[in-house]
Amino acid sequence: MKIQQIRRDKDEYMDMLLMADPQRDMIESYLDQGEMFALVNGGAVCAVCVVKMLKNRKCELKNIVTRESDRGKGYAKYMIRCICEYYGNICDTMYVGIANSKGMMGFFEQCGFINSHVVVNYFADHYREPIYEDGVRLTDKIYLKKQLGSEIDVKKVVDLALEAGRILLKNGAEIFRVDETITRICHRFHVEYVDTFILSHAIFVSAENGMEETYTKVKQVPLSSSHLGIVAEVNELSREIAEGLVGIEEASRRLEEIDRMPSKKGYFQVLAAGMGSGFFGYLLGASALESMVAFCIGCFLYIWVLKAKKHNISKMIVNIVGGVIITTLAILALHIPILGNVKMDGMIIGSIMPLVPGLAFVNAIRDIADSDFLSGTVRMIDAILVFVYIAVGVGFTLSVYNNLGGGLML
Amino acid sequence: MIHSFIMHVVCPFMGTIGYAILFNVPKRFYLCCGLTGTAGWLMYHAAVCCGASAATASFFGTLVVVLLSRMLTVKKKCPITIFLVSGIFPLVPGAGIYYTVYYLVTNQLAEASRRGMESVKVAFAIVLAIVFVVSIPREMFQFQVRKVRKG
Repeated sequence: MKIQQIRRDKDEYMDMLLMADPQRDMIESYLDQGEMFALVNGGAVCAVCVVKMLKNRKCELKNIVTRESDRGKGYAKYMIRCICEYYGNICDTMYVGIANSKGMMGFFEQCGFINSHVVVNYFADHYREPIYEDGVRLTDKIYLKKQLGSEIDVKKVVDLALEAGRILLKNGAEIFRVDETITRICHRFHVEYVDTFILSHAIFVSAENGMEETYTKVKQVPLSSSHLGIVAEVNELSREIAEGLVGIEEASRRLEEIDRMPSKKGYFQVLAAGMGSGFFGYLLGASALESMVAFCIGCFLYIWVLKAKKHNISKMIVNIVGGVIITTLAILALHIPILGNVKMDGMIIGSIMPLVPGLAFVNAIRDIADSDFLSGTVRMIDAILVFVYIAVGVGFTLSVYNNLGGGLML
Repeated sequence: MIHSFIMHVVCPFMGTIGYAILFNVPKRFYLCCGLTGTAGWLMYHAAVCCGASAATASFFGTLVVVLLSRMLTVKKKCPITIFLVSGIFPLVPGAGIYYTVYYLVTNQLAEASRRGMESVKVAFAIVLAIVFVVSIPREMFQFQVRKVRKG
């Protein structure tokens, strides 16, 4: 569902316009000067409206009509909201002149219009044929008005878009998704000229309104742990914004809520890490007993990871120590007599998995595939380094163990 | 029979869900994540059984994972990362790292470099498969879903 401005062949929609205004020459009198908009849903035009600019930052909604088969779906209301936002940049007040009928009054009042003034006998003087509605002849034209004020300004829109982008980037979204979301939100609120430059840990946005004022903002986004649930939520919100279901105030409120969304509970994550370790250990060739041990090692490992995250310990230390913990525990398991004849390989391979940087790796590839080489390279190096750190941790412990045993232990 | 079912269906399914939880994937996507992981692993396993090398098998496994992820993305209307990241886990060469280090430490350098190269090849195969499917235009997948709905 989107609103398009119609610049050519406005006559094509005459049959629709005639539904709202029965006299053809009256329509023609404002059609040329007025700006016409059409609401397109699924390729078909569902509603059209014509707005004419008046003097002194005022405009008048001359005609709005929804195709008969599409009435009662809220298209007109959506359209009015959009054009109010659109004209909010260039006008202060929007007028609409209607006949004295309850239904029309009610509709426009719902859209935020209030009484302005009345032109007596307008319809009787200007229209050749008398117009009847519900058996009553319409004579007076009632003008309603709406203060557009600044329903939205560029600053607010860019702030909202940037906040959405920051949350996405922080929680492990791809570069193109951040870019798309920012542009989508800006366009939805009629900030047409927007440029973005997004790196793996910073966003630059520059936007311009119609009056040559430019607003630029830079945001640094430190690398942190990812939360795909938040990415999904923001994505859904941005979809709703683009469809026009959510206003700017509600959008920023919901973004705040999303940003505060907690991670899964600690013990739950620990168990999940254990589960991943155990099952993958079994998949990659460990015996059932070894998988059980891998489950325990995975749990212990993740307790360390969570503790380290809490104290902001550097990634390098987290992964190297993680590797050491895995290997040490696996070696210990070798020497526990109850476990009998277990092999180290399966246990270590299984429990390495929670440390493997799957998200960074996949995102790096996707960024590079989208030609975001700069961010792709940074993320790829991040992923490769984590692999190296794990290898260093495991290798260090293995070699210490081997040397302690005089080179015969492995 | 039961053993191989547990081994090749239950394990990747549960394992993948485990990682989905670690990435804080919303609950409603767990099942799809698990299915993606299982499908990818089954493809990998089938390819290995047909005599393909680890890299080739990973390529085909990843193809299945990414294709499935893209279809699910269109259907569930959520970011592809959710399915892709968790689904790809069974194929990531975690074992490769371990063996490379193990042979390095035990001074079997030839074996270490063989394992290392193999892991790099697997990584490249995964990269290639992802890039390959990601480049297919979005419309193709939307078309597919529409057709299903009509049927």
